[in-house]
Amino acid sequence: MVKAQAPTFQEMIFALQRYWAAQGCAVMQPVDTEVGAGTFHTATTLRSLGPKPWAACYAQPCRRPTDGRYGENPNRLQHYYQFQVLMKPSPVNAQELYLGSLAEIGLDATAHDVRFVEDDWESPTLGAWGLGWEVWIDGMEVTQFTYFQQVGGIECAPVPVEITYGLERLAMYAQDVDSCFDVVWCRDPEGHELTYGDVFHENEREFSTYNFEVADVAALRRHFDDYELQCQACLDRELPLVAYDCALKCSHAFNLLDARGALSQTERMNYILRVRSVAKAACVAWMAASDTKAEVAK
Amino acid sequence: MTTKDFLLEIGSEELPSAPLDAARAELPKLLGAALDEAGLAHGEIRVISSPRRLAALVSGVACATEASTQVFRGPKVAQAFDADGNPTKAALGFCRGKGVDVGALEVVEFKGEKHVAVTVSEPAKRATELLGPISEGVIAGLSWPRSMRWGSTSERYCRPVRWIVCLFGEDVVDVRFANIASGRATWGHRVLAPGEHEVPSPSSYLDVLEGAYVLDHDARAERIREQIATLEGELGLVVDTPASTFAEVVNLCEWPTVLAGHFDERFLEVPQEIICEAMLKHQRCFPAFAADGSLSRTFILVSNGDSAHNAAIVQGNERVVRARLDDAAFFFEEDLKVSMEDWLESLAEVTFQERLGTLRQKVARMEKLAGEVARLAGEDDATIAHAERAAHLAKADLVSQAVVEFTSQQGVMGGHYAHAAGEDDVVAAAIAEHYRPRYAGDELPGSVVGSAVAVSDKLDTICGMFAIGEPPTGSKDPFAQRRGAIGVIRLLERMPNVRLRELIDVSLGLYEAQGLTFDRDEVAKAVSGFFSGRLQTMAREEGAQPDAVAAIAHTGVVDPAEFLSRVRALEAARGETRELMDDLAQAFLRATHLADPSLGTDVDRAALGEAELALYEATEAAEADVAAALASDRFSDALAALAALRGPIDRFFEDVLVMDEDLAVRNRRLALLNRFAHPFAGVADFAALAKVS
Repeated sequence: MVKAQAPTFQEMIFALQRYWAAQGCAVMQPVDTEVGAGTFHTATTLRSLGPKPWAACYAQPCRRPTDGRYGENPNRLQHYYQFQVLMKPSPVNAQELYLGSLAEIGLDATAHDVRFVEDDWESPTLGAWGLGWEVWIDGMEVTQFTYFQQVGGIECAPVPVEITYGLERLAMYAQDVDSCFDVVWCRDPEGHELTYGDVFHENEREFSTYNFEVADVAALRRHFDDYELQCQACLDRELPLVAYDCALKCSHAFNLLDARGALSQTERMNYILRVRSVAKAACVAWMAASDTKAEVAK
Repeated sequence: MTTKDFLLEIGSEELPSAPLDAARAELPKLLGAALDEAGLAHGEIRVISSPRRLAALVSGVACATEASTQVFRGPKVAQAFDADGNPTKAALGFCRGKGVDVGALEVVEFKGEKHVAVTVSEPAKRATELLGPISEGVIAGLSWPRSMRWGSTSERYCRPVRWIVCLFGEDVVDVRFANIASGRATWGHRVLAPGEHEVPSPSSYLDVLEGAYVLDHDARAERIREQIATLEGELGLVVDTPASTFAEVVNLCEWPTVLAGHFDERFLEVPQEIICEAMLKHQRCFPAFAADGSLSRTFILVSNGDSAHNAAIVQGNERVVRARLDDAAFFFEEDLKVSMEDWLESLAEVTFQERLGTLRQKVARMEKLAGEVARLAGEDDATIAHAERAAHLAKADLVSQAVVEFTSQQGVMGGHYAHAAGEDDVVAAAIAEHYRPRYAGDELPGSVVGSAVAVSDKLDTICGMFAIGEPPTGSKDPFAQRRGAIGVIRLLERMPNVRLRELIDVSLGLYEAQGLTFDRDEVAKAVSGFFSGRLQTMAREEGAQPDAVAAIAHTGVVDPAEFLSRVRALEAARGETRELMDDLAQAFLRATHLADPSLGTDVDRAALGEAELALYEATEAAEADVAAALASDRFSDALAALAALRGPIDRFFEDVLVMDEDLAVRNRRLALLNRFAHPFAGVADFAALAKVS
């Protein structure tokens, strides 16, 4: 039974955008390259660096090829949405702001058991780590809440706070459904419902098949190598934003290779190190470029 | 002396459980030391904590330090000034050390000599001036395993600090940390009493907290236990609350309410180990068991929410537990579709250790080693075959979906899969138990087959790591070799026929056959030395005297059963006949000090005097008795045989001058002493016993 008053999937995104816009966040659109998490968006990774204040929010489609289940598992998807908030410096009332946002999507924190459960975050491919929590509502993990300490191997000062909502889970909970495919995406004026399954079920089946069975391993290895070289070329020409985009392409090629089971343990580690070094190099170049601009502005 | 109570509360965002528990222990030490160093007398320090606060309540802190005057004596006057009356380097250094000018030097007399001296007066300092800096030092000084920065400040703490309450009596003490200034407002429970709550004085702190729906750590633990007990009574169930999960649960709430939820009957068909782990580790819920020990559909959760919404909170948790268990059931059912042999082949892709090869190779070595353990233990061919089979399948579950998800159920799941695949019960049980003992006091495998596999697994790791020159160090033991060695010792203690040195040799041989190159003798020696070290530690931890442990270790015995029973027997003998054993040890030491090994042990019996002859005969008898006793593992009898030498040796030293002027006599007597020491050699190093006594 879908609760009549529960927001639809799209209404949740609208509500979160409006809420965080009112807190001073610039509402961004998703990055248009495949990423494994909202963190990889330049609005998070690169803007976490450097002294300038920054506040942004956006919904980000994420691809995690290994999590695909051909649309057969009600909880696991290889393509899903995160709603991402990044505020630098982290405000003193970051947790209260977050709890306030839950009410906007139909989850009144006072009517539930909300916990901040230790979960330190680390992204080996981004050379990034932070401390924080996973947020539980009645035992369900719905959000990652992290104070970044380092990104791209560079210390973050001031420190940003990253809040990442798992939109499908929150929607399942708010709408009281047991399968993410039953989440109501939107409702037309006559009350006809479009579900998450209507939009993405076939997508899960096809991409799971591709990720696990079809993706050409040799081609993926080539893609990885090519983008790694492109990244270097862009760094040489002082184009850190493009270099970073190439690093994202490498990361996705690696994720696909991983899903294909094509990598031995040692090889896997090597690929992670290669992604990390291009991502780090792009971050360092971006920092250097923004320092130069700051100098020129003076 | 006037005193007041003192309160320091560090309010923060949610602190993680384990670091919070460590900080609860560290805070009173740190604060106590700082108060002592400042010279502020104080009473008991009580720690109060919740996820969002760490506080210390100190009773009776002195309002001021005591004024003091102290005279410090310096160098002699003669050395403090040169011929012209100018201060020497010594005098200047002394003044610098005390922070005074040369002009401040006085002269005092000490033991009839004139010395320069200074009088240092410390005026009394007010606590109100000292407590602020002390508190700031304590907040910054807590040693978190990982600390962080936040916002635009650079101070570090475990999670962002949001408020500080610091009161001395009714007055606020000024404390500043990361742009936060202290006050008297604490923060209440997020939902039940949000916002600030004034604390009038330290003595009212706990009442204010309780009024704001916050209980201290111990009170929460007690309330959770009480409520669980009540539910157990109502439901007729027994709730399992493992210490590590319980500690976390206590640190995840400020105002606990214990609730019961239920899951679907169908999950009871999934191995209960992964069901329990899913609840305990992933959801911090406790499983409940019926009186007959079977898992029930009920689980226990501890809520930090408003109890007006208990029904919704339970419902939410049930949904999450269902999803978790669905996952667990799915993994288990999927795993049952795969044969263990297929998994075994996948192990060829999994590195055990870079230089030691893959897990598939480890399994091949374990098979041979486990079979050898069973053979040496004197087991029949069927049992040896079972040990090999169990070792063959022991690691297969590492690539199963259930173990990838529930890592700590490795082995246990393998046991279930082996059982489902129709393997012999003994084999399935051995697979399930082969990681045991996993920690101090853990159960051992229930069968010889299980023990053989457990020994092969642990010993293979230890021998491999030693062979590549990576024995455990003080700070590094990533393959848990120490724990592994203790495991092997515990296991072999029950298999006295299995000789550890022989097993080490077999294990190293398997690595050699695999193509690893290393100095086999050297490594074998290093591995048995490592085991000897662990054995000595374990024996001392059992309460044995260090000298007794050393005395046995010096004989080179590394077989656990023999080593430990020898230590126990030696301890027992010393307990019963302390004086005799000490005396014997002294005599042995004296004999070995005099002895000259080059003279050998052959003694011309005909030439012996009466006392010499008595010792000679007693020694011959002891040799025979000791040999017989050791041959049948009667170690106490061996000790008793040696004890019989006490009279003769004492008499010998009393009646006979060993270092006779006649060289022939002297050498005869020295050879006799060599002979006397001989039967001791295989029993215990009595010299080690004498050194301490």
